[in-house]
Amino acid sequence: MTAKIVSFNLNGRDVDVMVKPLTTLQKLLREDLGYTAVKIGCKQGGCGSCTVLVDGEPMMSCLLPVEDVAGRRVTTLEGLAQGDELHPVQEAFFENYAIQCGYCSPGMIMVSTALLEHNAHPSREEIVEALSGNICRCTGYEPIIRAVSTAAERMNGNGSR
Amino acid sequence: MAIQAYFLPETVDEAVSLLAEYGPDLLVMAGGTLAMPLINEGVSMPAMVMGLRRAGLDGVGESNGRLAIGATATMTQMLAQDAVPMLREAARAVGGWAVRNMATVGGNLFAPPPSGDFAVALLALDAEVHLLSQSGARTIPLEEFYTGFMTTALQPGELVTGFHVPRPTGRTVYLKAGRKHANTPAVVTVAAQVVMDNGTVTDARIALNAVGPHPMRARSAEAALIGQPLDEAAIHAAAEAAMQESQPFTDAIASEWYRRRMTGVTVRRALTQLAS
Amino acid sequence: MVAETPLNVVGTSVPRRDGLGHVTGKTIYVDDIKFPDMLHLKVVRSPIPYGKLNGIDLSEAEKVPGFVRALTHRDVPKNVYTILTLIGVQPDDEPVLAVDKVMYVGEPIAAILAETEEAAMEAVSKVRLDLEPWEPVLDVEEALKPGAPIIKDWGTNYFIYDYEYGQANECRKVRLGDVDKAFEEADFIVEGRYQTKPIEHAPVETTGCVAKPEPDGRFTVYTNTQALFFTLDNTALILQIPFQKLHFVGGTVGGGFGGKVDVIVEPLATLGAMKTGRPVKYRFTRDEEMRASSSRGAWRMYFKDGVMKDGRIIARKVVTYADSGAYHRHTPYAVTKHAANVAGPYYIPNVWIDVYCVYTNRQPGSAMRGFGVTPASFAVEVQMDKIAETVGLDPWAIRFINAYRNGDIRPHRKVVDDATLIEVMQAAADMVGYDLPDEYRQMSSNDREGGNG
Repeated sequence: MTAKIVSFNLNGRDVDVMVKPLTTLQKLLREDLGYTAVKIGCKQGGCGSCTVLVDGEPMMSCLLPVEDVAGRRVTTLEGLAQGDELHPVQEAFFENYAIQCGYCSPGMIMVSTALLEHNAHPSREEIVEALSGNICRCTGYEPIIRAVSTAAERMNGNGSR
Repeated sequence: MAIQAYFLPETVDEAVSLLAEYGPDLLVMAGGTLAMPLINEGVSMPAMVMGLRRAGLDGVGESNGRLAIGATATMTQMLAQDAVPMLREAARAVGGWAVRNMATVGGNLFAPPPSGDFAVALLALDAEVHLLSQSGARTIPLEEFYTGFMTTALQPGELVTGFHVPRPTGRTVYLKAGRKHANTPAVVTVAAQVVMDNGTVTDARIALNAVGPHPMRARSAEAALIGQPLDEAAIHAAAEAAMQESQPFTDAIASEWYRRRMTGVTVRRALTQLAS
Repeated sequence: MVAETPLNVVGTSVPRRDGLGHVTGKTIYVDDIKFPDMLHLKVVRSPIPYGKLNGIDLSEAEKVPGFVRALTHRDVPKNVYTILTLIGVQPDDEPVLAVDKVMYVGEPIAAILAETEEAAMEAVSKVRLDLEPWEPVLDVEEALKPGAPIIKDWGTNYFIYDYEYGQANECRKVRLGDVDKAFEEADFIVEGRYQTKPIEHAPVETTGCVAKPEPDGRFTVYTNTQALFFTLDNTALILQIPFQKLHFVGGTVGGGFGGKVDVIVEPLATLGAMKTGRPVKYRFTRDEEMRASSSRGAWRMYFKDGVMKDGRIIARKVVTYADSGAYHRHTPYAVTKHAANVAGPYYIPNVWIDVYCVYTNRQPGSAMRGFGVTPASFAVEVQMDKIAETVGLDPWAIRFINAYRNGDIRPHRKVVDDATLIEVMQAAADMVGYDLPDEYRQMSSNDREGGNG
């Protein structure tokens, strides 16, 4: 069984890692590189708590072999804040109590961030659709939807919708 | 035992040659949305795996009035095309955003029931499947691809490389009944295409998913429409026929009884929508 | 006279103490914890609902590279869950690892410790079980029929209540007045059968813990239990070690809702750490969380109400069968709560309540939000609507007429002194824009018109 070296960009830095065949990105990030914001909820792609961005697009890291992201740009929640300064989506989640146990939050925040990159003024329906792959068992989703709208306003002003 | 090798071929020729070399010891996956959960849970323990993400099979384009779709084109790519609007609705029915960025058109053919919500749309559109092995290439209608519960016409050494989908000549409708509005397994999914001439149905395709061993055509339901106006009586007859010919099962999502009832309801709603 | 102190926190919006950790991903959960030389524990589970366990063959499992050791019931110092003993409920009925029989699909039979999670899962798949299936009991009413197979060691398929008072009641009983006489006087009899299904808490974070041996002979257990001290106590009792040998670290729970109170992972993980001298992680997979962890059990409730033309309920008889599954967990306690609440927040002068805690060969039920009472509320309120329809009154009216007032006696003999149902319904009517007739607007929890008190 041969391990392979895979190079990719992680949160803005180029990394070279050695992985056994079919190691998932989730496992590499959490166990080898210490990026534990990537959560394990199901390992089936059903809950979204492992969501990372690959070239800006949400993907389930529990289903993604590390070899498949060679040369790509991977972003985790740890890569969002700039030092002490929170990303507007993080701030909005915090202020709107869009977090309770916090376990779904990394995935929710990553998808929300990606949404706002694609769509500066998402409607409620568009927010709901974007987050449909992320499960939250605590909040009932309303505070999360509110947080995304708030973040959109902060980042892009009051777009007409 | 730990996985011995993971191959990521960069051409389809490399892929079929690996398949020829390793045969049944090699698990083939594309988006990973079906294979990885089983591997993660320890249910599936393959010796070797081949991923198709980089094999150049993700093209989407038009040729000769037909939509050509590579086997590893993702649901997101299907959402982005506008040549066949029904395929956008079908893609939306699969998972959530992240899963759609990963799940592939080809992979959906191997999804166990009640999955298969994209393939059912291909069935209603008379799609053709392209297969390739080291001994050559062949093309078969999608309907002939499914041979039974979790069995297909795929021969050892063969890969699904892509599809051709004719532009629909009739009106199309896609309706999925699930327990949630999104990111949910189907109770039943209906994909239909109906061709009318002077107010009479001349051709119909009604495909059902999650009420049988694989996505299937509801031929009696289709026959109930041919030669009729698309009115309440014909729609009712088609819905009843679909209920009869469906082969629903009970699982954690829905009971056999409920799936059968919902087949009638969903076919009726779909055809009513199509008629308006 | 006490000086009035100004309120500093009440009425303000307080940022969550753990909020920043959550939005930055810095909050540490159990699965984020790892140690060098840590082992992974996976459990061999029963594939059948009921049967005799004749033997466990580990020979193939032991050959899996990375296999370290297995634990069976013989390795467990006190092989019994003691959950309810701590609150005085007997008998202890559930083994940590199965001894000579299995009682539900998913029951733990053996634990495998291995160097990696994959090795542990592979070793589990290679354990051969010698099982002899028996006919399972799967329905609560079937379980209580004469001639049904008895699946519990004390000789009945129901929990025996009040043994501590020298009685042997087959169910929790509440009696007030005379329901049979009242049924004869009633203008209408309204019946209903209500069935809830098992519900899984499905927290996004699965149940798990890491047990680590310390150089001073103690064990530090990092766990996502909702009940830290309760779990510590039970773990110590099962391992037969003094409580002070255990140091439990927790409080960060990725969703619990009652599903992380059964002390399910800590005893085995700590035992594994004791036996190997290495840290042990035992975390449920999603499949285990959905299918093997306890659920909110199913409840079957039969209502028979005697109602007068004017809408007053003068008699209510409820017979409930709670499906505890294969073991108590917390269900005998839920049954008590259910019995106290299933008459509803209404004044009814004649009440008969029988609530059975029944055992079946199903996934054990346990605590989940509203434990025992949420099923009761569901049944009570649907029954109220049914009554309204039968009598020809508005669903609001039925509830105002029957709402309990201060001073009313409840079936279990508690005198109501904090009633607010009337006022809450009046406020609710305003909020939804329902035009309440004056006679209901004028009602109060402090008096009753029409002489029902």
